[in-house]
Amino acid sequence: MSLPERPITILIAALGGEGGGVMADWLIDAAAQCGFPSQSTSIPGVAQRTGATTYYLEIFPATQAQLGGKSPVFSLTPSPGNVDIMVASELIEAGRAMQNGYVSPERTTLVASTHRIYATVEKMQMADGRFDSERVIEAGKQLAKLALLFDMRKLAQDSGTVINAVLFGAMAGSGVLPLTREACEQAIRGGGRGAEASLRGFAAGCEIAAGTRSTPQPPAPPKQATEIDEIMRLGVERLTDYQSAAYANLFLQRMEFFQGKDKKLSAETARHLALWMAYEDIIRVADLKTRASRFERVRKEVGAKDGEPVVVIDFLKPGVEELASLLPPFLGRPLTQWAEKNGKLDAYNVGMHLKTSGVFGYLLVRSLAWLKPWRPHSYRYGEEQKLIEHWLTRVRDAAARSVPLALEVAECARLIKGYGDTHRRGKANFLAILDALVDNPAVSDPAAQAKAIHKAREAALADPEGKALGGALGKPVTWLKPVRG
Amino acid sequence: MERQFTKEIESLRLGDGETFHGEGILAVTKALLQSGVSYVGGYQGAPVSHLLDVMVQARDYLDDLGVHVEACTSEASAAAMLGASINYPARGAVTWKSVVGTNVAADALSYLASAGVMGGTLIVLGEDYGEGGVVAQERSHSFAMKSLMWLLDPRPNLSTIVDMVEHGFALSEDSNTPVMMELRIRACHVHGSFVAKNNVAPAVSMRHLLEGPPKEFIYDRLAHPPAIFRQEKLKNDVRLPAARKYIAEHKLNEMFTGDVDDVGLVVQGGLYNGLMRALQLLDLADGFGNCRIPIYVLNAVYPLLPDEISSFSKNKTALLVIEEGQPEFIEQEIATHLRRADLQTKLHGKDFLQMAGEYNTELLVSGLAKFLALHAPQLNLSSGSLWLNSIQSTKGKAAALLGAMPQRPPTFCVGCPERPVFSAMKLVAQDIGRPHVSMDVGCHAFASFEPFSQGNTLLGYGMSLASAAGVTPMSARRPVAVMGDGGFWHNGLLSGVASNLMNKGDGVLVIMKNGYASATGTQELLSSPKNSEHSIEDTLRGIGVKWLRTVDNYDVGAMTKTYRDAMTTEQKGLKVIVAEGECQLERQRRLRPVIAKNLSEGKRTVRVKYGVDEDTCTGDHSCIRLSGCPTLTIKDNPDPLRRDPVATVIDGCVGCGLCGENAHAAVLCPSFYRAEVVQNPNLLDKTLRKIRNLFT
Repeated sequence: MSLPERPITILIAALGGEGGGVMADWLIDAAAQCGFPSQSTSIPGVAQRTGATTYYLEIFPATQAQLGGKSPVFSLTPSPGNVDIMVASELIEAGRAMQNGYVSPERTTLVASTHRIYATVEKMQMADGRFDSERVIEAGKQLAKLALLFDMRKLAQDSGTVINAVLFGAMAGSGVLPLTREACEQAIRGGGRGAEASLRGFAAGCEIAAGTRSTPQPPAPPKQATEIDEIMRLGVERLTDYQSAAYANLFLQRMEFFQGKDKKLSAETARHLALWMAYEDIIRVADLKTRASRFERVRKEVGAKDGEPVVVIDFLKPGVEELASLLPPFLGRPLTQWAEKNGKLDAYNVGMHLKTSGVFGYLLVRSLAWLKPWRPHSYRYGEEQKLIEHWLTRVRDAAARSVPLALEVAECARLIKGYGDTHRRGKANFLAILDALVDNPAVSDPAAQAKAIHKAREAALADPEGKALGGALGKPVTWLKPVRG
Repeated sequence: MERQFTKEIESLRLGDGETFHGEGILAVTKALLQSGVSYVGGYQGAPVSHLLDVMVQARDYLDDLGVHVEACTSEASAAAMLGASINYPARGAVTWKSVVGTNVAADALSYLASAGVMGGTLIVLGEDYGEGGVVAQERSHSFAMKSLMWLLDPRPNLSTIVDMVEHGFALSEDSNTPVMMELRIRACHVHGSFVAKNNVAPAVSMRHLLEGPPKEFIYDRLAHPPAIFRQEKLKNDVRLPAARKYIAEHKLNEMFTGDVDDVGLVVQGGLYNGLMRALQLLDLADGFGNCRIPIYVLNAVYPLLPDEISSFSKNKTALLVIEEGQPEFIEQEIATHLRRADLQTKLHGKDFLQMAGEYNTELLVSGLAKFLALHAPQLNLSSGSLWLNSIQSTKGKAAALLGAMPQRPPTFCVGCPERPVFSAMKLVAQDIGRPHVSMDVGCHAFASFEPFSQGNTLLGYGMSLASAAGVTPMSARRPVAVMGDGGFWHNGLLSGVASNLMNKGDGVLVIMKNGYASATGTQELLSSPKNSEHSIEDTLRGIGVKWLRTVDNYDVGAMTKTYRDAMTTEQKGLKVIVAEGECQLERQRRLRPVIAKNLSEGKRTVRVKYGVDEDTCTGDHSCIRLSGCPTLTIKDNPDPLRRDPVATVIDGCVGCGLCGENAHAAVLCPSFYRAEVVQNPNLLDKTLRKIRNLFT
């Protein structure tokens, strides 16, 4: 038999703590069992602390007898275009490998899990900073000789093991790895602890890659309401639950103007309006936190087994703002104004660890929810309705000029979210944009105006500190709180 | 310690003819024992930590052999330890990560190099030409040249590395000079095999004690005038020729022949495997080390051997020197030699290869192609250019399909005690403005990444406070220095605290007291929980720090208040906050087996996990901007009317409590909850649950 010209090269991109090193050891062991010379190397360093890292292996698919005393010279570094199997334990890492040229159509089998572990920069945006997974999957299909992409984390969880076992299985099942399934399984057994679970994960990966087991269907993403009829229905439901049928009627009245108008504009306006009208005040939060469905959801989320009691502790820190929001306007307004002027909005907050699952805590929180009939008489209710009208008027006015412009104005409601300081910043950003770009626009062309609003909104959402928004509005927006006395 | 080396310790005992399988740096450890080393020291740092870690764990076996192991408090103490070999025939080895290590150790090293050694001394250096990216600032070569110490750079396979360790000691003894051996990151972590030899019990050791100090007082062994002038002469007149003789006689450098012998390649040993892959891509080599171009491999990169250079260059029209690092020391020395010997061989190197950074395969292929096109135009190099073109096109396609992708720098572990401190600092900065922050080496440097994005300077290990010395007097707002307990004991106490006190400085120092040198693998420190009789606070009080507070990291409210006090108090002088919270990696390592045992025994165990109520979360992610915990992430919004993803806490949460603390300290939002799952509940738990169920 003539000797193979080159080793089989394997590059593993993983995140710290996912067992990439163990997988490299399995491969080396399995290669040794097949009698093949091999080498692995890595650059762990501090990257092992949850950062992205890589492991690189070369296996020469010939036994010592076939080699007849020759020993292959292995490279310690991967090179683009020369990777036979590219393994990625997470989807973005697969994308990164492609960008670095490690996935080539002539040679590379791409084995990657489709689940996402979001990077901090994706998570920290005010809105949605997530990278589009479909782009990576599409690129994988185009750039790899063979792309084996499925949710291996899910399979690992189902098998009670770590993702490395499933990845290893998928490599073995791809047919590209010059190692027998038996050798791979023996290597896992030799690893000792947790071998049984790893073998289950390995089998799942192996059989799916080989096509003898079907790829599990990913769970459908939560349904989003996009059609106007559905949104109107959901809005009415929500506001009836939030306050009353009368309040839901107010929603319908406010939407009357949009009947027969552009469908998308009506849908988006209705969606924002419903969400805004169901603003999260202390009454609403107390209500949601004391529903039976909530305790069931918590049990499920924390993985409590039947018969295991779960104690739920909530972190509430009401202060001047929350108190003022509940008072009638003639008390709430002066109190808020005083607190704003003196920097006392966050000064007298009372931190509470409430055992909502306990009798006392439950009754305390539930009693706040019972204030629901009082809500329309509260200071905050009035303020919110005023601001809603302020916004709606501008959406309606813009709709008369241009639908895309109206859509952009409507979309600005997205800026108001969160609680406390975050909510105040969002509201201020919202007002700043309405003032600078809607009420006093620098351009009169609706398309240009819409573009400017879009840009400013994106800036405000991308960077909550307001630097980017300042740039977009052409004036500084600073959020340094007044120094407390 | 982060890693357990139970299996590896066994392989340290292998004897003649047995095969060692394992990591490069552990092969070095084995080679030290095969060389009869008497004492070993060092300071941890990637990629050489394992050398010392495995030795510390193998203490029982090493005691049997009589080998003394010392986990030094800095590279300077490790280097100074080699002083034992000046007067005694004892072999010693130390290890550290270059460049930091060599810089810190520089003082002791240059004295050592001047005095010269009797017993062989070997310094194992973890070198980084770029890929590790932590301190890609190689300095070993220049230091070796100026101090006249020898530098080995072995081919990165275990047999060669082990041979070089053994030769290193002999070379050191033959030439009375300390020897450095540099290993690149991947060579330290390469997994391979070699045929072992028996370990050699050291001639002088804990079991074979010296009879006493040297019989006579020899002034020449002190690196001090006037002896030092004689030592400087000895270096060049005696030690250098002795070293060259040893290197030549034992053929430490290797010459590989090839049929295209009017050109030649000179390469650092550590780069050999990469070069062979590049030559294979150019169709000039096979996969087994047979190459058409002659190669001169320098396993000893300093000193170079003029005779070997002459014999390799003779009859060649051109040489290409393949040398990582800047400037091109090897190329310059070869050029000098060629000129002196009046050899007309053309010389190339950095003109075809980039000056700094790692030499990857692409760089090598294009450099070789340029060189060969000029000096061996008869060769067909099309396979190389085809390859280069194809990777360009693949990368181009990927860039077009994917665009800019989110970076994923390392970050604090789940439940890390350092994260809450930075949450507190970020909160206070929102109130009083951002201060100048001088950072230090250690896990806490991750705060320079999102979501904390802070840190204005990074001047080395334990240097943060010292680096603020000049900033403080010029700043309207008080600057703050952050330092780990590792950095504090390494250098920070003296360079930072003592210097600040002596100069009556101002400023704030935050010391992260997590109990270990965590970034390098949770090695123990003077103030580790096991050594609790040595405390950072006692030390600071003893040295005269007046404003000193110890705060529980996870209490973000208290941390915020203390930090704000430190930043705003009228009191002048150094203000030190000791931020206390055990490294979560170590804590979990300790707790996990206990919890598993309790559970299996049916004992009542409370498991804590945090969570987010998805219906009150508005998807603003301000909690994430204050935390960055890997288990605090986002998911699709389950509300059909909302679009932005909601926050969620995924499996892996260790229940550190930061989410709840942040929600309180920053008055963020009421969505966080803490769930206590009672496993193996007792009767009381069950009864309470029944009562609660009546209501909820």
